[in-house]
Amino acid sequence: MIRPKRRVRVAASIAAATVIAVSLTACGGGGSGGVEDTEADKGLPVAGVNLTYDPNTLVNDGKPIELEWWAWSNIEQFQAIADAYTEIHPNVTIKVVNQPWEDYWTKLPLELQSDGGPAIFNVHNSQHDNLIAKMEPYDIDPADLEADYTGAAAHVIDGETYYVDLGLMSGSIYYNTDMWEAAGLTEADIPKTWDEFREVAKKLTIREGDELRQAGFNFNGAGQAMQMGMAYQLGQNLFAADGATPAVDNQANLDVINRFLDIYADGSGDADFGASATESFGQGLSAMTYAWGWFSGTLRNEYPDLKWSAFQTPVPSGGETPYAYDRYNGESTFGINANASDAEKAAAQDFLRYYLTDEESMKELSLSFSIFPAYKPIADDPAFTEDPALAAFGDIERYIWPGPVPSTFETSTATMWEEILFNGVAPEDALATAQKTIEKDLDGKGFVPTEDLYPFYAAD
Amino acid sequence: MKVRVFALNATLAVVGVIIVLPFFWMILSAFKSNAEIVGFEQSFWPREWTLQNFISIQTKLDFFRLFGNSVFLSVTITALSVYTSLVGGFVFAKYRFRGRGVLFAVILSTMMVTWAVVIIPRYTMFREIGLTDSYASIIIPAVISAFGIFMMRQSMDAVPDEILEAARIDGASEWFIFHRIVAPMSVNAISALSIFIFLWVWEDYLWPYLMISSEEKQVLAVGLTTFNGQYSTDYGGLFAATSLAIVPVMIVYVIFQRRFIAGAASAALKG
Repeated sequence: MIRPKRRVRVAASIAAATVIAVSLTACGGGGSGGVEDTEADKGLPVAGVNLTYDPNTLVNDGKPIELEWWAWSNIEQFQAIADAYTEIHPNVTIKVVNQPWEDYWTKLPLELQSDGGPAIFNVHNSQHDNLIAKMEPYDIDPADLEADYTGAAAHVIDGETYYVDLGLMSGSIYYNTDMWEAAGLTEADIPKTWDEFREVAKKLTIREGDELRQAGFNFNGAGQAMQMGMAYQLGQNLFAADGATPAVDNQANLDVINRFLDIYADGSGDADFGASATESFGQGLSAMTYAWGWFSGTLRNEYPDLKWSAFQTPVPSGGETPYAYDRYNGESTFGINANASDAEKAAAQDFLRYYLTDEESMKELSLSFSIFPAYKPIADDPAFTEDPALAAFGDIERYIWPGPVPSTFETSTATMWEEILFNGVAPEDALATAQKTIEKDLDGKGFVPTEDLYPFYAAD
Repeated sequence: MKVRVFALNATLAVVGVIIVLPFFWMILSAFKSNAEIVGFEQSFWPREWTLQNFISIQTKLDFFRLFGNSVFLSVTITALSVYTSLVGGFVFAKYRFRGRGVLFAVILSTMMVTWAVVIIPRYTMFREIGLTDSYASIIIPAVISAFGIFMMRQSMDAVPDEILEAARIDGASEWFIFHRIVAPMSVNAISALSIFIFLWVWEDYLWPYLMISSEEKQVLAVGLTTFNGQYSTDYGGLFAATSLAIVPVMIVYVIFQRRFIAGAASAALKG
């Protein structure tokens, strides 16, 4: 016989257990939920130039289908693109899911290797090796992609393309326009050569006694980014002619190091003037810094009151086009999951064509990421010349992509700069150490650079 | 003597301020704009107070849904885990059976295995049995706590066996003895363990992130990391969300704090 008080307790326990059980077993999915599409002819024009997209079709035979799209940034923009596609094909629903940048690269490979994961996922080329085995090739003729997308040829693997560059990002010199004016400088003073740059940096420097108040140029924490690009200006590739041996310990890299050390030796900057050059620039303490395109977004979001502009990275000799101005890296287009069902893959392939030929979306994404658009039909849009960071890209053909280089290049050259700036290690010795570390880290990795695909490639 | 007490209190006060100051800084920074947070001229108090960070976290993060999910998981896991720990601790403390020592050593040894070693096999296991994207995948591995069993055993060792014998002579069942005599006498240890487990679950990030795919089921610790971007961090949003995220932790601590120290000490001292 259960007493009344106990009965209430038992009933409450059962109710609680039921709630928990229901919660525990609640799974995602939730059905397709979309509507049927019966009208193939949308009355819309075919988009694109060489790579084209015909919207006047039925996707998945008009039956409802849902796709999940993982991304780590620009979620609203990607969702807007997906929603615009759904307006054309109302039976296809695409949900963009926000993922934290760092651990996305733990979760996504795990999901893919377990035959799961979203139908569509954003890719970063630094994670190429972790993802490529589980990516579905694009159902697009690589020749069409190459015709419309800058650098697409570098992404072809055995005749297939798995992702291409959405846009190209590289480095430029950011400068504080208020400090520029205060120093009596004008647009005509924008330096074309590193020697001119060194003189401008002196003019922008403010000291009170021995104390540096305003750095003319600050590259603290940015040495590795410059190092990997500036040796190209001197005709030095990142890899030897065999396409396998890293080429770090050489005269070109030593010249680059000494050039920037000379600027600090002038007193135009100091290794102890803050750990981050970009932060110092944002805080109005440094007049010039070197950074990649992402920095313009940071400046707009975090330092909205700062007045700044950017100019193309100077070159060693005036009036001469360098071998390459800098290296670039791409923000990639999305990948398609090889584990997805055939219906999902087919819908993803259709969406891919829409995405790659949608000029307005490509333009907005490029501006948002501060990348020079890889999509050639929009490359001459005036919007890109109005953005100082993008306008600083001069001749886009003169930027080189070494491929998705392993992170050891960046970490080893970062360590090299720390050794030089803070531990008094001679540049020659630091370079030799970096060379050895990179060689050791690359050993057995089978990394194949794409430098030889650069139109002006010249083996050392 | 008075001087020594004063010096001790002063030292503790200084240490306390050093520990607490970053929390106050974070809370006050939640009322600053991003430009002020990353600016060169730093001030403790906001120069311009803004609630924008708090307003935007709901739209950016669906904060209250994630908050609710974390509360549900933390409370559920804490309740289940504390109960199983009590049962395990009772068995190891008050029953004599063959292999008891070895079994207890095996349970303790699971605490020595690092997280990085088990995460991939555990992930594969849960995926194979189809429990991904469900709260079961978060709750099941947390229901049994080796640390909890250890802590409860240490605490229950202090309960005199004579009390249990007397209860048995009076006709009490083992169920009754456990629930009505031993468990109430372990309330300090329960309080301490509840705080530990609640905190661990509340701040657990990687496992929920790996297991849960649906945004609407995600937990707050995962949501907070989305403020860290590839190139920059939304410090204002992060501080605002984190300031609110510590509220349940504070509440749990306030509820159990009186018994926390005694409970934690009972795990270290065998009676």
